[in-house]
Amino acid sequence: MIEIAPIMAVFLPLFGAFLIPIISMVSKRFHAERACNWFTVAILITTLAVVAAMGAAVWGGGIMVYKLGGWSPPWGIVLAVDGLNLLIALIVAGVSSLVAIYSLVYMRQETRLDLYCVLLLLVTAGAMGITLTGDIFNLYVFFEIMSIGSYALVAFRRKWDSVEAGIKYMIIGSFGTSLILLGIALLYGMIGSLTIADLAQKLGQVAASDVVVPLALLISGFGIKIAMVPLHAWAPDAYQAAPSSISALLAGATTTAGLYAMIRVVYMMFGAFGVGTMFAIFGLVTMVLGALMALTQRDLKRLLAYSGISQMGYVLLGVGLGTALGVQGGLFHLLNNAIFKVLLFMCAGAILYRVGTTNLDELGGLGKNMPITAGLFVIGALAISGVPPLNGFASKWTIYIAGIEAGKAVFSLIAIIMSVLTLAYFLKAINAIFLGQRPKRLQNVKEAPLTMLFPMMLLAVLCIVLGVLPSLGIDLVAPAQGALMNQSGYINAVLGGI
Amino acid sequence: MSLNYIVAMLLIALGLYCLLLKRNLIKIVIGLGVMTDGIHLFLISMGYREGGIAAIVTGEMLENAAGFASAAVDPIPQALVLTSIVINICIVALALSMAIWVYHHYGTLDPSEIRRLRE
Repeated sequence: MIEIAPIMAVFLPLFGAFLIPIISMVSKRFHAERACNWFTVAILITTLAVVAAMGAAVWGGGIMVYKLGGWSPPWGIVLAVDGLNLLIALIVAGVSSLVAIYSLVYMRQETRLDLYCVLLLLVTAGAMGITLTGDIFNLYVFFEIMSIGSYALVAFRRKWDSVEAGIKYMIIGSFGTSLILLGIALLYGMIGSLTIADLAQKLGQVAASDVVVPLALLISGFGIKIAMVPLHAWAPDAYQAAPSSISALLAGATTTAGLYAMIRVVYMMFGAFGVGTMFAIFGLVTMVLGALMALTQRDLKRLLAYSGISQMGYVLLGVGLGTALGVQGGLFHLLNNAIFKVLLFMCAGAILYRVGTTNLDELGGLGKNMPITAGLFVIGALAISGVPPLNGFASKWTIYIAGIEAGKAVFSLIAIIMSVLTLAYFLKAINAIFLGQRPKRLQNVKEAPLTMLFPMMLLAVLCIVLGVLPSLGIDLVAPAQGALMNQSGYINAVLGGI
Repeated sequence: MSLNYIVAMLLIALGLYCLLLKRNLIKIVIGLGVMTDGIHLFLISMGYREGGIAAIVTGEMLENAAGFASAAVDPIPQALVLTSIVINICIVALALSMAIWVYHHYGTLDPSEIRRLRE
């Protein structure tokens, strides 16, 4: 049974998405309007379980290869799961299950919830597909599925702000994906293959000057999805205007999948570790600009968006250092970022749900009304700023050390300064929301409902656990780092010594 | 043969021009479509072979596999383009429907005026 797990992890959410309209029709007849949401939660948790079931085989050092239709690579399409795929798939499936649980209550007042469930499942299916596929064109198709789903989700409410953010995201994002297509077309013209492992093998024999154009096209295409700084224009608007559950999904799942595609293609397929220095520098620019922009924001979700951009800078810096420790730190931070960023967006959503605004000027003194949300927000904020007993510290520390070991102490220094700046703007946000004078009209605000608090609590516990026992996180991340740097092992496992 | 590539690059350049410089959302969406069509033309030209035959395996083809391989066009780019055209239809349809909603809320399609979020 375990052999079909990779395809099941993609197939379940995809097939679930097509079942939702039927379930919606049936449930309306029986007056069970919530059936779609519960079905979504069930499908996503099953997907998570399927992904976790692959763990035993993959963490032992193996690479699971599933051949679609029995066609062997490089002629057929394969799904290949190594440590890196598994880590990203766990993050994606975990985040989307939590988002689905959170949406049970958060999206209750919206109309057309069945469409929301369809799109949520499609985005998850796309992200899972990107994560598990071993074929570059397949990756592009799943990238488009994920992207189109997320454009539609950002504009889901069809109010002025979500439509504005949606169309901006859509045009910039589609431009990026067409660059990816052009890059793949050039690669196919040059090599004549689409399997990542086969490409990796044959690209090694091509002169470096020939691969520059497709490499640049692919990097810019994926860079748009992860909001790397010169390409980040869509991100603040999209995160601010989307429903908070979707902001959490974008920050936790689609960005992670985008970063995965980037490092898989650049490091594994092109074997271009030399590009790492460029990543590190882009990472630094991303980190600095994101943090500086976050300082001046007056809207909580926009602030979180800029801080999310800034955190992706840390991941890029760590991955870009190109050393084993640096990649470990970067991937560990990717995992942690998916935890605390989702937590913070969910807190913002809880405030929006109870108060109706996330404008920092109109909030204040909510600590008395929403003590649990306040506590969870503080945990998330301290974790993201890298305060010691929490998980952000563990991964940031790894990145600092990796920077110093790689002889780039200046990079580490800038990263530390930005970490302090992160703490500064989060303290400002905590002060503005939970402390200080409480406006009269906020007297009767209640604590967020338990269904929304549950995923947040789970994430906060993860923040603390991974902070107190960082070796647990390293255990998850080390196989991923090993897999990323084991190009020949991947090629052999997928092509089977052809 | 090289005309195909020249036209493909021209289409990509034209689409890029529309995308970057036009001040109307509908024209931007058209530019996006034209640019992707240029990429499609580029892809399909790579597999094209003048006077080639369709890559459908039949009994008599199998007898002369080498001759078949040298005469048939490459089918993979065609499969890729077919997939990509479908994706592109989705993108254009969704973008146009969003443009309608933008017009509904803002009364204009000029992207420089659709920036209330930043204020």
